[in-house]
Amino acid sequence: MNKGIPLQEALAAYRPDSDPGQVSPMTDADSLLSEFHPDHLRGSVVKLSVGVNSGDSCQRDLASLLQTEAFIDEADLAGVPVIDADVLVIGGGGAGCAAALMAAEQGAKVLLATKLRLGDSNTVMAEGGIQAAIEPDDSIQKHIQDTLRGGHHAGNPSLVASMAEDGPDVLRWLINLGMQFELTPSGDLQTRRAGGMSASRLVYCRDYTGLEMMRVLREAVFQHRSIEVWEQSPAVELLSNEFGLKCAGAVLMSLADGQKRIVRTRSVILATGGLGRLHLNGFPTSNHLGATGDGLVLAYRIGAKLTELDSFQYHPTGLVYPSHLSGKLVTEGVRAAGALLINGKGQRFVDELQPRDIVCASILRECQEGRGIRIDDERKGVWLDTPRLENSQPGLLERQFPNLMSRTRGSGLDPRTQPLLVHPTLHYQNGGVIINSKGATTVPGLFAIGEAAGGIHGRNRIMGNALLEIICFGRRAGIAAAAAAKRDRGPKKVTLEHINQLRRALTLAGMPLSRRAPEILPSYARGGLWSR
Amino acid sequence: MSRPAHDRADQPGIRLNINGQSVDAHEGMTLVEAAWQAGVPGITNVGCMEGVCGSCRVMMRRDRQVTVGLACQTFVENGLDVIFLPAASASRHFYDIADFKDSWDIHARFHGIFPEASRCRHCHGCVQSCPKDIKVEDGVALAASGRYREAGEIFFECVMCELCDVACPELIAPAHVGLFCRRVTAHFHLRPPNLISRIEELRKKREEADGNDKGEE
Repeated sequence: MNKGIPLQEALAAYRPDSDPGQVSPMTDADSLLSEFHPDHLRGSVVKLSVGVNSGDSCQRDLASLLQTEAFIDEADLAGVPVIDADVLVIGGGGAGCAAALMAAEQGAKVLLATKLRLGDSNTVMAEGGIQAAIEPDDSIQKHIQDTLRGGHHAGNPSLVASMAEDGPDVLRWLINLGMQFELTPSGDLQTRRAGGMSASRLVYCRDYTGLEMMRVLREAVFQHRSIEVWEQSPAVELLSNEFGLKCAGAVLMSLADGQKRIVRTRSVILATGGLGRLHLNGFPTSNHLGATGDGLVLAYRIGAKLTELDSFQYHPTGLVYPSHLSGKLVTEGVRAAGALLINGKGQRFVDELQPRDIVCASILRECQEGRGIRIDDERKGVWLDTPRLENSQPGLLERQFPNLMSRTRGSGLDPRTQPLLVHPTLHYQNGGVIINSKGATTVPGLFAIGEAAGGIHGRNRIMGNALLEIICFGRRAGIAAAAAAKRDRGPKKVTLEHINQLRRALTLAGMPLSRRAPEILPSYARGGLWSR
Repeated sequence: MSRPAHDRADQPGIRLNINGQSVDAHEGMTLVEAAWQAGVPGITNVGCMEGVCGSCRVMMRRDRQVTVGLACQTFVENGLDVIFLPAASASRHFYDIADFKDSWDIHARFHGIFPEASRCRHCHGCVQSCPKDIKVEDGVALAASGRYREAGEIFFECVMCELCDVACPELIAPAHVGLFCRRVTAHFHLRPPNLISRIEELRKKREEADGNDKGEE
């Protein structure tokens, strides 16, 4: 596929005052999506043949990870030090920290293990805000309806109701921990309305909501006397009881020296986030380095049921260059402020404020049909016409989008004079591990929360529900896991029986045992970790 | 119109040192990209790659000048000597914000938790080390004089890289001072009426529902 207009040619032809034409109204959204959205790419979805989701549709790259050999077997565990904890939290983003804090509040001895540094997560990068129905003209019911509708009615209504009902109390909890939000002059929480909301419901802290949330949670976790934190300690396998039926701990492996440690526990909370760094279907991603879907792999192997494994959110406007920012987001706010999307021929091709999946599919159509702008086979895109926006409202970019301006500064790119080359970028895993309203999975002793969990956002998440979800279900799972740990006398034996069962199933299904998972880090960042 | 930094192949080659290893790179690459491409082992203190997580701390030497910064936000330069720094050691300043019931004694509490904060010797180490150009020293001075809201505002863009903590010869831990100021401001002063009304409304509804349940029994 060498089609497309070469970059230099497109740049030379670009004029911020040209006539971009009109877009015709969207007639057949379904066929656009089925032809061009990455979820529907031919050959990108396969049926799982091993495990509890056998027969279900799953994205191809993810399926090959879910059905792979483990890193370790029982021989590797001989002589490995064993540590006991009431609750083990795997993952140090917003969800993991909320769960650890609540479990510790209940009196549990908590170990929080995280692959990178505490706080390294997609939470810290969230700009937009967090949803909670607090305005007089809004209601919990409206929040529930908007979330279900946004998810194409594939979400679990009882989970959605739990989340929406918790919204106001989640904000109170965060404020008590010391998180700040924007206020109106009269001291109310400032709200705004974003795509898919029937009322003004997004509360925020400038365009650094996730950073403000994460640094407060991180500090609270570090300060807590009953929470021990292990950084650079990814989980490479869960442990089960002697029947392979209940989660009884995990095996952690240090990134620094490859040393393994066994954590024996009564409750495990998976808060490992999403999988953007798997670059599904070859897409760039907006995600942080650790988002390699480890939690899905571990949960699936021990028998937890997953959902919506073929549904991912691709954000329409990821940067194509400068290349160190490849895949990083240009916030939807720029389009909301009036920026147009323009193809290589200088023409508009979609109403820029359509839902994310529609805009994404439209951009991919332009690129595939030769109207995109092309750097090479890997890098194509369309213009996000920031100079035209700046000309119509001088000073707007500096004033409203300081984050964008400071990111592009220093790389010879000025969005005020040069349009931004953008392409859809892998942003969010809509599905995940099936949970109940306490965050419990289908496997006793195992909880899952945050982006790793599924069932809330259906097949499309609306803005601001991710930050709410991680705190809501993080707190619920923390309480439930601590309570379960009190009832439970702990495992008699920790084994890898579920891995033995997996190996038999893989062999029976004729699957190769050559590849190993979880990924831990994307291949380009893996140099010299430990020998595999 | 400036030329976009995209096509590495025709960019001039650059040679630098990362963790003691000689590394070839191209103009426009960040230190993280250069380290990965060259296969420098053990580069795992990397997170968001857009300058908001504060993980990829590096110390750099150009001739005799030594600076610190974030590797994902710093571009390669000829002859640059780079060392990726390990994560900061644990904080030595402990408090539990849930213990703060009375805002009138907050000044005493602050100086109890951060006794070093009033000993700033104005060496500017914290200011020079900050990758976000925060006026750290001013923030610490405001905090020490009890002006927590203003101090917290100064630290608004703090990404908790904790480079200022390392730079401070008095062990003030400025990043944690800043976060303390922001946290107590929210903890004591954020009481939004719209949120409080909705919480109360939901509480009443729950109470009614509980009452009805009991009536039916």
